[in-house]
Amino acid sequence: MRERFLSGYNDFVLPFMIGMVFILSYCLVGMIRIILQLPKDDRKKFFLSLVTPSIILKNIKDIFLDCLIHVKLWKRNKLLGYMHSSIAFGWFMLIVIGHIEVFLYTPNRAKLFYYPIFFRYFVAETEHTMKGAFFFFLMDFFLLVVLSGIVLAMIKRLRSRFFGMRRTTNPSFLDLVGLYSLWAIFPLRLLAEGFTADISGGSFLTKSLNWVFHSFLGDHVNMLPTWWAYSCALGVFFIVLPFTRYMHIPTEILLIPLRNVGLTIRNARKGFAKAQVYSCPNCGLCIDACPMGVLKANIRDTTVYLNRQIRRNNEARIEEISDKCLLCGKCSVVCQVGIHGDQLRIAQRSIRKYNISPDYSNIDEKVLLNGCNKFVKQPNSNVLLSDSEKVMYFAGCMTALTPSIRKSLLSLLDKAGVDYEMMDRDGGLCCGRPMWMAGRFDQARQMVEKNSAIIRDSGANVLLLSCPICYKIFKERYHLEGIEVIHHTEYLERLVRQGRLDVMKSGTSFVYHDPCELGRGCGVYEQPRSVISGLGKLVEARSSGPESICCGGSLGSLTLGFDKRKMMTENALENLTAENPDVIVTACPLCLNTFDRYADRPVKDIAEVLDNQTTKK
Amino acid sequence: MVENIVIVGGGIAGMEAARQLLKLGYSPILIEKSGTLGGHVAKWNCLFPDLTPARDIVDSLVSDMSGVNVFLNTEIASINRLRGSYNIMLTNGISVITRIILFTTGFSLFDASKKEEYGYGVYNQVITNGDLEQWFNNGNDPRVDDNVRSAVGFVHCVGSRDEKARNPQCSKVCCITAVKQAIEMKQKFPDIAVYCFYMDLRMFGKKYEDFYISAQKDYGVRFIRGRVSEVAENIEGKVIVKAEDTLAGKPVKVTLDLLVLMAGMVCNPDCSKIANMVSAPLDSDGFFKSRDNVANVISSSKDGIFYAGACTGPKTVPETLAEARSAALEIHNYISAI
Repeated sequence: MRERFLSGYNDFVLPFMIGMVFILSYCLVGMIRIILQLPKDDRKKFFLSLVTPSIILKNIKDIFLDCLIHVKLWKRNKLLGYMHSSIAFGWFMLIVIGHIEVFLYTPNRAKLFYYPIFFRYFVAETEHTMKGAFFFFLMDFFLLVVLSGIVLAMIKRLRSRFFGMRRTTNPSFLDLVGLYSLWAIFPLRLLAEGFTADISGGSFLTKSLNWVFHSFLGDHVNMLPTWWAYSCALGVFFIVLPFTRYMHIPTEILLIPLRNVGLTIRNARKGFAKAQVYSCPNCGLCIDACPMGVLKANIRDTTVYLNRQIRRNNEARIEEISDKCLLCGKCSVVCQVGIHGDQLRIAQRSIRKYNISPDYSNIDEKVLLNGCNKFVKQPNSNVLLSDSEKVMYFAGCMTALTPSIRKSLLSLLDKAGVDYEMMDRDGGLCCGRPMWMAGRFDQARQMVEKNSAIIRDSGANVLLLSCPICYKIFKERYHLEGIEVIHHTEYLERLVRQGRLDVMKSGTSFVYHDPCELGRGCGVYEQPRSVISGLGKLVEARSSGPESICCGGSLGSLTLGFDKRKMMTENALENLTAENPDVIVTACPLCLNTFDRYADRPVKDIAEVLDNQTTKK
Repeated sequence: MVENIVIVGGGIAGMEAARQLLKLGYSPILIEKSGTLGGHVAKWNCLFPDLTPARDIVDSLVSDMSGVNVFLNTEIASINRLRGSYNIMLTNGISVITRIILFTTGFSLFDASKKEEYGYGVYNQVITNGDLEQWFNNGNDPRVDDNVRSAVGFVHCVGSRDEKARNPQCSKVCCITAVKQAIEMKQKFPDIAVYCFYMDLRMFGKKYEDFYISAQKDYGVRFIRGRVSEVAENIEGKVIVKAEDTLAGKPVKVTLDLLVLMAGMVCNPDCSKIANMVSAPLDSDGFFKSRDNVANVISSSKDGIFYAGACTGPKTVPETLAEARSAALEIHNYISAI
C-alpha cells in the first residue's frame, strides 16, 4: 500500500469538512446548553453518573443496543429493525474500519479528519501485495449492508404498509433534503470507490463493479467528479442535519445517559424535555398507537407532531396538541427512543397562565377526618385501637359516580372480614390527579397535602383505592410512609390468594380491559387477570397489556368532545370483543362508564363480577 | 276501497290513524309487537295538565278498532320493495302487499341504569317515572310502598339533553310529567317533602305554567335548579342526593326515601331495523327523518312511507293524536292522487 499524493489533500474534501465542522460544533454547543439547562440537582446527578462505573457500562450498552443495533425495533418489527440497524451499524463499522485502515497503513495521516472517509482515493495498491484485502473485504461488506438498508428505506417511503405500518409521518421539506442526501451518500460512495478500484484496490463489490463496467468506470476522467459528489452529499447531509429529524442520531446519544440517571421533565422546553424532543426520529410508530388516530383529523396531534411543533416553536399548535391528548401513555410505550409524550404534554400545559387560580387551602381537613376516624381513640390523637391491618378505603369522585363499584367492593370487604373505614363516605376531596394532568401543579399539591394529612391522622395502615386515576397520584406524589397504597385489583387478588373469599367459578368468558392509569400508569397487569381467571374463562383482547387501547373517556384530554370520543370508544370496544367474550371487565370507574355507553354486552368492574361469584366465608 | 294500508305500531298514534282511515272508508292493517294495544300511554295513569285518566283515552281508541285488522304479538320479519309497492312479511306468517306504510313505532324510555351515578338498578330506593306510573296504576311496588316516609325527589332530564348519555335532544314531556307526578305524590302523601332537581323548566304547553305554579303554591313542591351530581346510600337505607343549587350558588345535600328519575324519550331501537328494511333515512337524533321538519313532518323521502307520533321525535299526547289524524288525511290524499 502506498500513498498516491504527497500532499494527502484534494479540494473535494472541502464540502465534507465544512459539514463535519459545522455539525460537530452545533452538537457540542447544543449538548452544553442542554446540560446547563438542567436544574442544579439534576445536573449534579448527571455528572456523578458519568463517573459511576455501573451507569457508564449501562450507558455504553444502551447506546450500542439502542442507537446502533436498534434491539427494541427488532423485537417490534424485524424488517424495520434490519433497515435501521443495517444503516446505523453498517455506517458505524465503515467509520471504525476506515480509521483502522488509516492507523495501519498511513499512520502519518491519522490526524486528518477526512482521510478515513476518502481513504481509497488517496492510496494505491497493486494486485500482488494484497495487504489491505481483509479490511477492503470488510469495507465492501458493510457498504453492501448499508446499501441494503437504503433500498429498504426507499421501499418503505413508497409502501409503508409493506413494513406493517399503516400510517407514517409526512416529512418536512428539509427532512426530504436530508433524506435524499442520506440516500445519495452510499450509492455515490460505491460509485466513487468503483472508479478507484483499479488503483486503490477493492473487494468483491467495488472491484467487480469496476471490471463489469470497465468502459465507464475505467475512465479516470469521471473519477474526481464522483468523489466530489460523494463529499457534497455528506456535506449537505451534515449541514441540514440539525434542522431535520436526523438530529435524533446525535441527540439520542445524550438522551440515553440522561435517561439512565432517572431524570424527569422539570421544564417544558429546556433540558431533559429538549433532549427528548430532539431525539424523536419521526418514525411515526406513535401514529398507529394513538387512540385518537381512528379519526384521520387527529393524526397531526400525535407525539411525533408535538415534537416537530415544539422544535418550530409553533405555540398555537403546541397548545392544541397538548390539550387534545388523552394522556393514555401508549405512545410512550411504543416509542423506541423513550420519549414520554404524556409527560411532555403535561409539562406544556403547566406553563400556561390562568387568570383565575382556585385556592383550596381553606378547606378544613379536620371536618373530613372526623367523618372517618374509626381507627383512632380520639380524633387527632394518633392513639391506635390495635396494630392489625386497618384499611382506609378512598372511593374518589369517579367511584362516587359509579355506585355499583363502591357497593360491591364494600360487600367484598365485609365478606372477607376486613377492618375498614371509608374515607369519603360523605364526600371527600379530589385526589389531585385531574389538576395534575391539566398541568396545574399548585392546585394538585394543595389537595395532596390535605388528603395526606387526613390519611396520616386516621390511623389506617392500608389505603385502598378503586380508581386507577387516584391510585397513580397516590403512588407517585403522596408521601405516606408506613401506609401501603393499594389498588382494589391488587387487594382483591390478595384476599382471594389468602383464601379470605370463597370464589365460585362459572362458565362465563371475560375479557379484561387494562385501564391506562393502572396498566401503563402503574404497571398492574397480572393481579386482575389472576382474579378473573378464578371466576371463569379469561380471554385476551387483540391488543392488551401495555398496548391496551384507551377507552376514550380519559380525563387527560381537555378539549375532545363526546362526538370525537365516541369513535375511539367504539374502536376500543371492537378490540376488546375480538374473542367475543360474554362480559367486559375493567378496573376503572371511568372506563366502565365510557364503555357501558356503547357496549353491546355487559361491562362490569372487577369488584362487581367477583362479588357476584363470592359467598361469605 | 281495497287499498291495503299497513300501520306499524299499536300505540295511540297507530290507533288514532287507523280510526280516521276507517272513517275515510279504508280497512287498515294494524301491527303491534306486544300483546295489547295502547303502547306507552296504556302504562300511564293520568295525563297532564288536567289529570285525565290515560285509560279513558286508550279505551276509547281501542273500542273503535273493530273494523281494523289488528295483529297482536306480531312483528315485521322483512320488507321487500316491489315496483311502486312493498311486500311485508309478518312473523305470524302472513304477507301483505301494500303501497302505503305508516310508521307509528313511537319511542323507548331511556334506560336509566346507563346513568349509573343516579343509582338506578343499584339502590332499591331509586325508580323511574315509568315505574312510578305503574305504581299509580296497580299500587304494588315495594320500592315505593316500603320506603316513602318523609321525602321524595325527582331528577329531571335523565338521559335527555345529555351528550354523555348519547341523547342531546330534549324529551319535551318530562318537565311537566315531573310536576304532575310531584303533585300526585303530594296528594297521596300530604306530609312528605317533594323536591324537583332541574336544569331549566320548559313549560311550553297549554296550562303547563299554571300547573307548575300550582305545584309550588298549592302543594309546596320545592324546585331546586341544579343537576344532581351523585346519589349514595346511607346506613338507614335512605338515599343521599348531592346537587348544586345554582340559584343560591351552594351545594345541597338532601336525604330522601325515594328518588324518581325522569327518564327521557329515546328513539325506539326497532326504528333503525325497520329503516334499514325500507332504506328510509334516520335523522341525527336517531329518530326517523321527515321529508321536512317544518312543513312535512309526517312524510318521509320515500314514496308511500308515512310517520305519525313520537317515531320522529319526542311528542306529547295531543300532538301525537293530531299528527295521526293529519297522517290519515295525507294518506287519503296520496291514494286519491295515484
